[in-house]
Amino acid sequence: MTWLKLVEGYMPMQMISELACSILVFALINWSLNRAGMGIPKFWAGVGVWIYIQLYLKYRIYPPIPFSVRAIYGTVSACGIFMWVSGSEDAWQEFKRPVINVMDGISGFHKSMRTVALIVIPLALGGFAYNSFLPSFEEPIELRTVHPAPPATTKVHGKTFVLQVVENPYRVNNEGKYDQAYTDARIVEQAMGRLMKDVNDPNYNPWDPNAEGYTKYVREGGEIFFQNCHFCHGDNLNGRGLWAYAFNPIPANFTDAGTIAQLQETFVFWRVSKGGIGLPGEGFPWASVMPPWEQHLTVDEIWKVVMFEYWHTGYYPRTWD
Amino acid sequence: MSKSRYGSNLARWGVCLSVSVLLGLGLPLSSGAQEDLPEGFKQQGLPSPPPAEQIEAGKRVYFTKCVWCHGVEGAGDGPGAVRLWPRPRNFNAGTFKIRHTASGQLPLIDVDLLQTVTHGLPGSAMPSWEGILTEQQRKDVLAFVTTQLVQDRSWQDEEFEELFVLQLEQLTPKQNTPESIKRGSELVVEKKCIECHGLEGRGDGNAFNLKDDWGFSIQPADWHKCWNFRGSRQDPYNVRNIFRTFSTGLNGTPMPSFADNTSVDERWDIANYVNSLCEREHEIVAPQGQVSDETAQAFSTAAPLPIDPLTDKPKSNFVIPSKFVEGDLPTDEHDERWKLIPRRWLGMGGQITHKPRNFVNRIDDMWVQALYNETHIEFMFRWDDRTKSIQEDEVDWDPTEVNLGDYGVEEQAPQGTTFAEDPFHQESIAAKQKDGYAVYSDGVAFQFPVKWQELPAPRKPRYFWGDETFSVDLTKWTADGTLGVYEGTGWDQDLTELDFQEEVEVVKAEWANGRWTVIVKRPLKGDYEEVAYLEAGKYIPMVFFAWDGHNGDVGRKMAVSAFYYLVMEPPIPLTTYVYPGLITFGIVIIEGWVLGRRANRRKEKGQA
Repeated sequence: MTWLKLVEGYMPMQMISELACSILVFALINWSLNRAGMGIPKFWAGVGVWIYIQLYLKYRIYPPIPFSVRAIYGTVSACGIFMWVSGSEDAWQEFKRPVINVMDGISGFHKSMRTVALIVIPLALGGFAYNSFLPSFEEPIELRTVHPAPPATTKVHGKTFVLQVVENPYRVNNEGKYDQAYTDARIVEQAMGRLMKDVNDPNYNPWDPNAEGYTKYVREGGEIFFQNCHFCHGDNLNGRGLWAYAFNPIPANFTDAGTIAQLQETFVFWRVSKGGIGLPGEGFPWASVMPPWEQHLTVDEIWKVVMFEYWHTGYYPRTWD
Repeated sequence: MSKSRYGSNLARWGVCLSVSVLLGLGLPLSSGAQEDLPEGFKQQGLPSPPPAEQIEAGKRVYFTKCVWCHGVEGAGDGPGAVRLWPRPRNFNAGTFKIRHTASGQLPLIDVDLLQTVTHGLPGSAMPSWEGILTEQQRKDVLAFVTTQLVQDRSWQDEEFEELFVLQLEQLTPKQNTPESIKRGSELVVEKKCIECHGLEGRGDGNAFNLKDDWGFSIQPADWHKCWNFRGSRQDPYNVRNIFRTFSTGLNGTPMPSFADNTSVDERWDIANYVNSLCEREHEIVAPQGQVSDETAQAFSTAAPLPIDPLTDKPKSNFVIPSKFVEGDLPTDEHDERWKLIPRRWLGMGGQITHKPRNFVNRIDDMWVQALYNETHIEFMFRWDDRTKSIQEDEVDWDPTEVNLGDYGVEEQAPQGTTFAEDPFHQESIAAKQKDGYAVYSDGVAFQFPVKWQELPAPRKPRYFWGDETFSVDLTKWTADGTLGVYEGTGWDQDLTELDFQEEVEVVKAEWANGRWTVIVKRPLKGDYEEVAYLEAGKYIPMVFFAWDGHNGDVGRKMAVSAFYYLVMEPPIPLTTYVYPGLITFGIVIIEGWVLGRRANRRKEKGQA
């Protein structure tokens, strides 16, 4: 399905709305068929919808979701369908009628169906059991905590930073005072493309020769980003850089609403400074190739690059209150 | 001869010298029009200029997304450029590689450039902007780039510009029959493709002497990695892409257009052959580029590798399966028993965690396979490397030393962090690649956690040569012939040589036609305390490292993989057959019981 792409950062919403839309369409078809007197038996409608949801989850979503998660969705959707078919006694009777008919073998056709089912069910389950007993060496699923709890303080280049109180020294207004509202007004637009608000205004365009203060610092942060970080985190900060394919865990996607948008700026400062090796155990410090940036960048450069990441993705850092 | 008609253009702008040398110079001026076009091309009018509002809208896109690599003036010198290879495009001369237009001509904006922005240029840092920018935004930015940043030429220049467009959509690809592939394999020799691309197409011919129009080192494409073709348009196994590149050439590079000296039919044959060399699930070998009937048959039917749409690389699988074989382990790569197991594709990235970081990484993947018997396990590594590098001079450091900064092995610093300070980045890494760097030995290494049995899941030693708590044993082969086994306790801790290295053996190490084949055998049973004791049926974490000596790779400057798991597959136990049989039998009984009950109930109902 290359013609229909999942839009980055909106995938869960897109998935749910696509499913909801298709269910709505099914309901509409079912209703109009019923009105026209050509209704599909409830049994087949229910089974069909359930199979549709399973196929959707398996083939539409990329990267693929694991079987266990699909099993959960499958159970939930089966419950939903069960509620629909058992809404009234009549509906329930109608739903189970095809099954009962086959069990009773009320006609020649049903009898042969019964014979087929009697043979296929044990064979299928036996085969399923064989497959699950066959030693298989799938990739193990290892669940990693993406946002481990930060420490209270962190020491970078010999200086101790108390994460609860420290502020980004470059997030300043034109008077040189820390001002989050001022800088939040100057980030890129939160719309498709996430573009800067005005390319001809030095307040918004970091590349304007007259850009000063915050906007100029954003450019300096960007220069650092594009000399150091984009190899993994990507030119669009979406975790799809030049070498992202080689690493596991994959690089963080800053355009996703679940990463830097959920974090305080000081948390990001700590993560950038200490890198993968500085993570607590639940963050898999042994596998992350994220450099401890204090080995490569100064404190000022780290603050600037953090600020650039917020500017370029159009997110506000979370505040402590 | 059509080339000479715009040969004056080439001379005027001084671009594509190589193309004009090959195809243009010395040919008589011709006044003909259509009949002079190369086969498969048609002339097309120049596009109309974009409206001013669109250029303005594109400027906003450019300065948000593109300026960081392509620079304020579009000279390919943004801050990102200093550590990139291949370099970002310099738009100023209007030289673009991937086109449907004839050699030396400007590209089609709404086709070629739009596709480049949409699909990116795999194998370079240019990403796909689809799903990030809307189609309108992508068109807007092209309006800005083509009118404001392309300075030496213009799409509206009726006097000097013409567009002869390859009618790719109208042409039907020739079926990739064994005959077509075989003919293609002969044509690449006849047309001298192999002089640059190498006998087996790994880009190893003349690999270090080529430069682009700006003097930067450029390497011939490796036909075995079609997913890295810049013009692959996120559809790497599509033969049309190869046909297009071959027909139009790559402006600004030594790759000429072959439109004038090949027929369309011949071009399809060559494209089919080149496409068939791109790696498949199972390796198909055409030694020295010689394609036998049998090989041609295999090429024409082999299925492409599945490509991961998020990375545009082959899909990775982090489990490396190893099968048990009776008797002695293979002594070379031709042993039939290697076919018992799938080969695994290992994605490799530049080591950029610790200094010296490797920003210009040249080993981007490796293939690995493993077989074991009662006593030993054998790994076969195969990876493409355009140059065989063996260090000639003695070095001052010991093989166990890792902090080579003391000996002057340092990473390249960006020269000047701002555009103003360093407008041309003369000393960029890419520029330095041309000449004047030390050549070290190629190498490959893999590490196991020593006491992997004791690791509380999912804990592992750090990927980079272990840590204090959990050490690793690192087996490292170097092209100068040394094979060592070392204990690693951290990225910055010197390695410790282990006696175990006497028991490890290089079965084969050969560089041929742009590829290393290295087969390493080691005993399964280390002493547990210093060297890993490998057991069947377990997930044993592994990390791989590789060095390209001609890239200046040495010490920590190298390519590195993620964690993989080696699994030595044990024989299938009896229970696998017994339990499913029991389950099937049980279900038959339950069925009988349910139906019996149902029948009884109906009978009772009928009586009542």
